[in-house]
Amino acid sequence: MSNLLRTNCAGAAHWISRFTLAKCLGGGSLLDVKFFLVLLAAAMLPAATVDLAGHTRDPFGAPAAARVFIFVRSDCPVTNRYAPELEHLFQEFSARSVEFWLVYPDPSETPATIKKHMLDYGFPGQPLRDPQHDLVKRAHADTAPEAAVFDSKNDLVYHGRIDDLWASPGRARPMPTTHDLEDAIAAVVDGRAPRQAETRAVGCSLADVAPDPGK
Amino acid sequence: MPHGACGPIKRCGTGLSLWAVIAAFIIVPTLHAVTFSADIAPIVYHYCAPCHRPGESGPFSLLTYTDVKKHARQIADVTQRRYMPPWLPDPGPFQDQLRLTDDQIRIFAEWAAAGAPEGDPTETPAPPKFTEGWQLGPPDLILNTDKAFTVPASGPDVYWNFIFSANVAARKWVRAIEIRPGNARVIHHANLYVDYARSARQNGDGFPGMDPVIERSIYEPDDGHFLYWKPGGIPYSEPDGFAWRLDPATDLVLNAHMLPSGKPEQVRPQIGLYFTDHPQTRFPMLIELEHDGALNIPAGDRDFLVSDDFKLPMDVQILAIYPHAHYLGHLLEAYATLPTGERRPLIRIRDWDRNWEAVYRYRDPLFFPKGTVVSMRFHYDNSSANIRNPNNPPKRVHAGNTANDEMGHLWLQVLPDGPRDRRVELEQALLEHWLAKYPHDYAAHLHLGAIHLAKLDPGAAASDLEAAVRAEPLNPEGHNLLGSAFLALGRGPDAILQFREAIKLRPDYQNARYNLARALIKSGQFDEATTLFRQVVAAFPNDAMARNSLGELLFHAGKYQEALEQFNRAIALDSSLEIAKKNREVTLQELHK
Repeated sequence: MSNLLRTNCAGAAHWISRFTLAKCLGGGSLLDVKFFLVLLAAAMLPAATVDLAGHTRDPFGAPAAARVFIFVRSDCPVTNRYAPELEHLFQEFSARSVEFWLVYPDPSETPATIKKHMLDYGFPGQPLRDPQHDLVKRAHADTAPEAAVFDSKNDLVYHGRIDDLWASPGRARPMPTTHDLEDAIAAVVDGRAPRQAETRAVGCSLADVAPDPGK
Repeated sequence: MPHGACGPIKRCGTGLSLWAVIAAFIIVPTLHAVTFSADIAPIVYHYCAPCHRPGESGPFSLLTYTDVKKHARQIADVTQRRYMPPWLPDPGPFQDQLRLTDDQIRIFAEWAAAGAPEGDPTETPAPPKFTEGWQLGPPDLILNTDKAFTVPASGPDVYWNFIFSANVAARKWVRAIEIRPGNARVIHHANLYVDYARSARQNGDGFPGMDPVIERSIYEPDDGHFLYWKPGGIPYSEPDGFAWRLDPATDLVLNAHMLPSGKPEQVRPQIGLYFTDHPQTRFPMLIELEHDGALNIPAGDRDFLVSDDFKLPMDVQILAIYPHAHYLGHLLEAYATLPTGERRPLIRIRDWDRNWEAVYRYRDPLFFPKGTVVSMRFHYDNSSANIRNPNNPPKRVHAGNTANDEMGHLWLQVLPDGPRDRRVELEQALLEHWLAKYPHDYAAHLHLGAIHLAKLDPGAAASDLEAAVRAEPLNPEGHNLLGSAFLALGRGPDAILQFREAIKLRPDYQNARYNLARALIKSGQFDEATTLFRQVVAAFPNDAMARNSLGELLFHAGKYQEALEQFNRAIALDSSLEIAKKNREVTLQELHK
């Protein structure tokens, strides 16, 4: 592998899906390199996340001690049941310079349905649409609800479940025994690394609402 | 493929067959790419759409291609886990078995993996038409709750009992009920109990609890029907002759299991009743296998067994089955062992999930001859490996009504063979079985004693009723019935003692007063009886029977004018009281002499 490729692979680890990274590290032809460079270029553009007024909005713009993204679907009962817990976390941490973002990756969710969803359940945070799944990929999220925590340097330090209430689809504990998201945010705010960088989230599939490849 | 088709080399023959089999597995699935239009739509319409449509319990609709595509991978996952469609038992001879075949599950997986293609939309079958509102049409009577119940936004499961006043003016025969939960997404399951004695409303117009206690009169073996709501089901209509009785001044108690959704939810159920003119002529009964008294599960025990076995005292048909447990149950099963020794499964649930508790009706009634033993075997896991354990860390668990306790009940709807009402016979066998488990149970002894009295066997009655009184000496009903048994045995003084005790324990016990008067009359103590009845009439001036009884005593003492007064008052209070009319005639005759 050329030096250029090696450097770019390092970048890929940061920005691009694991699939692409694997392909890159597998080495190979010039065609691979071109493909990879194109992807890298695309990834360096600001993420095409959009606020409810339709304007591109970069959630990594302002400085923050931590950034918490919750990936949600309004038609997901697992997600909705977490609204009170998320509100609790918001109350606990928003005064400590932690940003909360509620991310809707389903391209068919409209600003109207999103507003209603947030109002009905009292979800906290700033809503963001992610129709191209750019943020989804950056956060390595695949489930709704899934949380992703970035530190003040915009590095992903945690992604996964909010707590262990759900062991698997349809199997819930009477009460959670871990509070993974709360612990992760607290760690970041205290300048530590979260105990676990990733956990398995249980809920509704984000791949099911991925944008069509042709678009 | 005939043997030796390849001559002396047999291998040739087997080889070709093997290839045929392999080809079938490889080629068939890929010959035809799975599409929504051709393959997915029919399955979804049948197994998913009844719940996954607006107004029903599914949290999202699955009626169109767009709907289903948005959940393609999720569907592949939850069907492969057999979490959806919800169906707990192993395959069996059940009605409306909501269970996918392995093939159907594979089809969902292939479809998701292929990117959920639509296929030819012109070929997509039309989605099913569902009846809006009341599924059985407009009910004959709709019952409403006075106030809504609010499920909080978060927290554990909630159990609430709604009380409905069934305000019918005269006896009705109910052929069907429909429960409209009012918020189908929040209610998981609901059972309906008929509260003839209106005992539940002592708790208020609604009250919490997983298993409400409904008082049952020992004289009414009713309670032969499973009345319930479960998601997606069409309400059940009883076959002709199976309608159940609903009398005025009866309550219906709806026990609802609800789950927080993330926001506060209002729940306001309604019940629709459908009547028939055909009275009940077939008399099924709900029988319960249990051994709650032995339910004592140590913390950490991974496989605690609760068993019960009951020998059927007559030929029966089993119509439906309802296994009930709380959160620790894991393997629940029931089976029947015929007199020949042959064992037949009734139900087997390998991974019990309280959220999907349900009544299961058999497609055709299962026939079992007299002497068949029905058995329940419920296994419980009270370790921390059971993620549904309500106690963390696990603690010792007994039988009880709350979510932290446990229960194990296997209910069967049983129809004794033959045209007559044989419920008392079956009830007697059940009570005897109960007493074998719980020898000092007051209610069972009382009930069995009452049955013996009704069968005119006061000797047997006295034995059971003495046991009842020993078990609960402060319960007036035991004394009253024991007195009746003694009276029938000709033991006057003993009877009088018992009736006096009953009245002492409950001063307004009218039935005991009548019995005491009868006993006094039988032993010739007319003056005392008369005094007693004067007291009753003074305390209850509108009791026609009391006045009639007083009249009879006065007649006996020769006080015909006073007697006549009482008979006239009795008839004025209750014009249908034939005995009072007859007594008046006889008294008038005496007065004219």
